[in-house]
Amino acid sequence: MKFANEELRNKLAAEYVLGTMSARARRRFEINLKENPALRRAMAEWENRLTPLALAVPEVEPPSRVWHAIESRIRRSRKSGPSFWESLSFWRFSSIASGLVALALLILVAVPGPVTPPADGTRMVVVMNDLNTRNPAMTVSWEPGKPGKRVMRIRVIAHADMAPGTAWELWMLPGEDQKPVSLGLITTHDAQTVVVPEPLAAKLDQAQGLAMSVEPAGGSPTGLPTGPVLYAGQCVKT
Amino acid sequence: MEAEQLSHLLSRCALRDHQAFRTLYQHSSAKLFAVAVRITRRRDWAEEVLQESFINIWNHASGYNAAKSAPMTWMTAIVRNRALDLLRRPREVEIDEGHEDLMASIPDESPGPEELLKRSMEAGALAECWKQLTGEQQNSIALAFFHGLSHGELARQMQKPLGTVKTWIRRGLERLKNCLDARGI
Repeated sequence: MKFANEELRNKLAAEYVLGTMSARARRRFEINLKENPALRRAMAEWENRLTPLALAVPEVEPPSRVWHAIESRIRRSRKSGPSFWESLSFWRFSSIASGLVALALLILVAVPGPVTPPADGTRMVVVMNDLNTRNPAMTVSWEPGKPGKRVMRIRVIAHADMAPGTAWELWMLPGEDQKPVSLGLITTHDAQTVVVPEPLAAKLDQAQGLAMSVEPAGGSPTGLPTGPVLYAGQCVKT
Repeated sequence: MEAEQLSHLLSRCALRDHQAFRTLYQHSSAKLFAVAVRITRRRDWAEEVLQESFINIWNHASGYNAAKSAPMTWMTAIVRNRALDLLRRPREVEIDEGHEDLMASIPDESPGPEELLKRSMEAGALAECWKQLTGEQQNSIALAFFHGLSHGELARQMQKPLGTVKTWIRRGLERLKNCLDARGI
């Protein structure tokens, strides 16, 4: 289904938000939402127009069993949930790495932005996946080996939003038994650079992976990740 | 609870603050449950929707963007989408046959769509713009929105041809949009 026509996008977004669409049409619409930012915008506009109307209904207290069910599901995921390191189980999927590196290089080179093609062909590349969807969300690359600072080129591919009062913090993962080291805060911008000064810069070349966690505004108060890890990936030398 | 406070609670949820999540639930679940009940028309379905929606809210709080929508709008959209998905899921024949009765049994004592709309539009552009619609456009949109009726169900409920009902909705929404756009909403 093509949505090049603004009128069509508008009409479908309105029907979706209003609630008159069939199940099949809803599925098709949701699939198209992923690929089409203009459609997402149209839907957001209709949601803002219509959804507040829904709140005119008088409140109905839900039975307490609903909260108990919610609470136990969340508690369960906290207790038996993966530790920071377990959630970064990409260590085990090194065979996928080369395919992802090719993807990363394609993104880095094909999309216009502050990226220069490698001078001598050696780059460290990290494709960071969204740990929920397993899709690539961010790519990071830098030139290793030189003395002095490292300039990390970052591309954020995922259409990501940041909740107010929170920040994205980038972490270097030296290895399984070592603690993550903060590389500072990043934003949701498509293309950005992070400068890593010495002596951290040399350690960066040896890192096994990178991770991004959601922290309170201003960054982690403890120096270690305190919030959920959204993206992570393995460092690969190309 | 003010939008700003709800926004703050959502941010805390993004940081995995269980207490904030509980507070968020305490201040929003009654409203959101009411939305689910009205669309699904069954308490057990509405409970399922509420549970799934709040798990969703917990898991996706880090993606909530206060600049794009108000907190209750964001959460209500999650509940409405879940409720509509449940409602539209293909079900066994016997439940479908009962569906007609369920539609007819929308209780009279709780405020009907028109009354609800009046209440929600005490002030503001939406009230002004809503007035520009014909009675039929208002009725069809209100029924669809509050009760999650499909075009076919609307046509049966209002006892009008499908094409007529679709046109009322389409023209009504167009007028609403043009009017709100003109006011910079």
